[in-house]
Amino acid sequence: MNMQTGMKLSVAEMALCEAYDHAVGELPGDAAVLTARDGLISEFKAGGLPTRRIEDWHYTDLKALLRTLPDRAPVASAARVEPLVEGSTVLSVENGLVAGDFSLPGVEVRALAETLADGSAAAGLSARNRDDLIGKINGAFVRGGFALDVPAGAALEKPIELQTVQNGGQTHARFPVAFGAGSTATVIERHLALGEGAAFVTTLSDVTLDDNADVTWIILQAQGVTDTHFGQVRIRLGAGSKLRLYVVNAGGKLVRQEVHVEVAGEEADFILRGINLLGGDTHNDLTFTAAHNVPHTTSSEIIRNVVFDRAHGVFQGQICVAQDAQKTDAKMSCNTLLLSDDADFSAKPELEIFADDVQCGHGATVIDIDHTQLFYLMARGIPENRARAMLVNAFVAEIVEELEDEPLVEALEAVIDRWLEKHA
Amino acid sequence: MPAVQETIDQVRQIDVDQYKYGFETNIEMEKAPKGLSEDIIRFISDKKNEPEWMLEWRLDAYRRWLTMEEPGWARVDYPKIDFNDLYYYAAPKNHVGPQSIDDVDPELLRTYEKLGIPLREQEILAGVQTSKIAVDAVFDSVSVVTTFKEELKKAGVIFMSISEAIREYPDLVKKYLGTVVPTTDNYYATLNSAVFTDGSFVYVPKGVRCPMELSTYFRINEKGTGQFERTLIIAEDSAYVSYLEGCTAPQRDENQLHAAVVELIALDDAEIKYSTVQNWYPGDKEGKGGVYNFVTKRGDCRGRNSKISWTQVETGSAITWKYPSCILRGDGSQGEFYSIAVSNGHQQIDSGTKMIHLGKNTSSRIISKGISAGFSSNTYRGQVSAHRKAENARNFTQCDSLLIGDKCGAHTVPYIEAKNATAHFEHEATTSKISEDQLFYCLQRGIPEEAAIALIVNGFVKEVIQELPMEFAVEAQKLIGISLEGSVG
Repeated sequence: MNMQTGMKLSVAEMALCEAYDHAVGELPGDAAVLTARDGLISEFKAGGLPTRRIEDWHYTDLKALLRTLPDRAPVASAARVEPLVEGSTVLSVENGLVAGDFSLPGVEVRALAETLADGSAAAGLSARNRDDLIGKINGAFVRGGFALDVPAGAALEKPIELQTVQNGGQTHARFPVAFGAGSTATVIERHLALGEGAAFVTTLSDVTLDDNADVTWIILQAQGVTDTHFGQVRIRLGAGSKLRLYVVNAGGKLVRQEVHVEVAGEEADFILRGINLLGGDTHNDLTFTAAHNVPHTTSSEIIRNVVFDRAHGVFQGQICVAQDAQKTDAKMSCNTLLLSDDADFSAKPELEIFADDVQCGHGATVIDIDHTQLFYLMARGIPENRARAMLVNAFVAEIVEELEDEPLVEALEAVIDRWLEKHA
Repeated sequence: MPAVQETIDQVRQIDVDQYKYGFETNIEMEKAPKGLSEDIIRFISDKKNEPEWMLEWRLDAYRRWLTMEEPGWARVDYPKIDFNDLYYYAAPKNHVGPQSIDDVDPELLRTYEKLGIPLREQEILAGVQTSKIAVDAVFDSVSVVTTFKEELKKAGVIFMSISEAIREYPDLVKKYLGTVVPTTDNYYATLNSAVFTDGSFVYVPKGVRCPMELSTYFRINEKGTGQFERTLIIAEDSAYVSYLEGCTAPQRDENQLHAAVVELIALDDAEIKYSTVQNWYPGDKEGKGGVYNFVTKRGDCRGRNSKISWTQVETGSAITWKYPSCILRGDGSQGEFYSIAVSNGHQQIDSGTKMIHLGKNTSSRIISKGISAGFSSNTYRGQVSAHRKAENARNFTQCDSLLIGDKCGAHTVPYIEAKNATAHFEHEATTSKISEDQLFYCLQRGIPEEAAIALIVNGFVKEVIQELPMEFAVEAQKLIGISLEGSVG
């Protein structure tokens, strides 16, 4: 419920409205796109930034957390970096703009600006509901990104890396990706920052899997310590399709990553694995909703959080099972290692069930390191800090190993190791 | 896995159209005029011969209430309540306050007899040697009788209606009233602070173990009345008290409002056990009528090593909105919440608990079983939080729900908030997590797994229900047979 209509706008809210007034003239898009953009910004003006009174934002009070915005212009130039996994095809958005050659054999790739200009992207520019801040902001400002169409039956051997590289300033990028029936692919969505300037980045991926498509999608957010990142993935799963989604957060100051899944075809299978590595003054929010709308579908979510320093971690998960969705099997678990007295973690794992023949469960734990395990390692001559690091590493690495894609597992483990070395 | 037939049958037995307490008592009533205003509050206060400070307290709450908005976050849906279309005070005529049983209107006695509530002390004494229970009977806005007062007084325990306590022990009431649920707490608690008419007051002095179960039985009878009860229980150092409440209402087409506030205070090493068998009229098959049960219940474990335990069996009310909570302030304090909530017909339940860990080495345990059938909606909403200084806070939460039929809904909304690295919170919502040891023990003796699980779950339910005196737990008893196979988190 949004009761803020007519309220005085905060500094950040004003800045966003003004930024829109300045930007709208140069943003790509035909008349339909412009109408959609205008609609979204006026929805934003009416609601403002969400406060903790808005249930979807209960633990991420943006009115309090997002006080200022960086200038729209980047601080310095940005260029693509080497892909996470060797041999991947990189499609990069550098300081908000599509750069270089972006052809990809066997896949139809278009720059998002093109789809905005011809109006085909207009339909996607909408908010999921009245509290969908990311949908509103991203839709109003979106400029860079790629639209991908993976043909039916295509089997992509090498991963596709969708990269945003930012050097201060603001970027709003979007990646509509459609996987045809029976196609298989691995996509890495990677968000990075160069330099020291604060950046404000929103990204929205619209992912649809046709029947029997089999996709692995990795989101690696590793922005700078002063950056704000709002990401959203909207997923629709067709019959018999399978999506493994890994979300790894290892950076940023204020981060909200939303995952919204509509399980729309029978026998579809969704897997979410989240790793949130939180340190410094980070506020990190992973929010997930799954709507099981048809019978015989499965979903499984495991979230592992490691919280150091003064970091604030949030996980909100909601599994909705519709009346017709009999035989749904949905499991959600959220485990947190809270390693500092100045840190905190809040979890809200919700179930909303209207079908009577389902198996749904959730578990949530918050603990510190197991002292018997620590003792075991130390008794074998491993110094305490090393032993701790091993245990923390094991806690998160466990779920990376499930991927069974060696180069990918190694790359992600390296990211985790580097992060832990710096923070543990 | 769907629920087994036995469970379905048992839930059907407590369906809305089986409501047995829907009769009406014909008795002459004295009522305040309809509506809510400062004059009505003065009228109530005057009727109760309250001291000036109490009136001021009420008026202050009323003025605040006028500035508040009705909360809309709960998963319940009901038409807007017209607070000016209610009677805020209704008492049997010629009623002069709780008195000896012989002065009570025989019609009232018959009512309680029909409800199975023992109001005559001698009857209980002459009967089979069951445990003694002292009862405070609240009929609409007033307490009609409180039993065993004298015997309790000998032990030093004060048990009387809150109106009496305000007159007889003003200092005690003043010291504790509103310290757990402040008048500004929430919309309905503020309304209650302004207009509460009766309820129970319990004071157990230092070192005293209350010699018998205390209980209050609430009955809404009069048409168009709201019942606003206020209960205050104080257990001094090392004291112990077990208290239970029961409630019913006649069958009516209109909705009736019941907005209570219960405050519990446990000092050093004290323990309070609070049980509820809630059986307000749930409305008919079409969802017409029934009681709106909007209740604020909170216990404050103020002292070291104190303990507060909430047990509730919820089968009634059209709409339930209540979260019996524990503030674990004292070091080493403990909070417990055991709940069985059954919804049927068009009932809506949004209930759960809050465990707020503030002190060091505090622990809490939440076991919640929700069963929804018919067209009902049953939501568990609970919060567990550990504050910065709550070193070694421990929580275990288990909430299971069972759906019978595909027209109802079950929801779980837990809020888990840890601000201390030494906190250990575990939340789970599956039946498969039954103690491995117990399961192994049963399996080893040749009991099939499913039967073993049912046995263990039933064992738990039984344990909760057995703690309720049976006179009040007819409905609860039926639940013993209900297992939660096929349940979901």
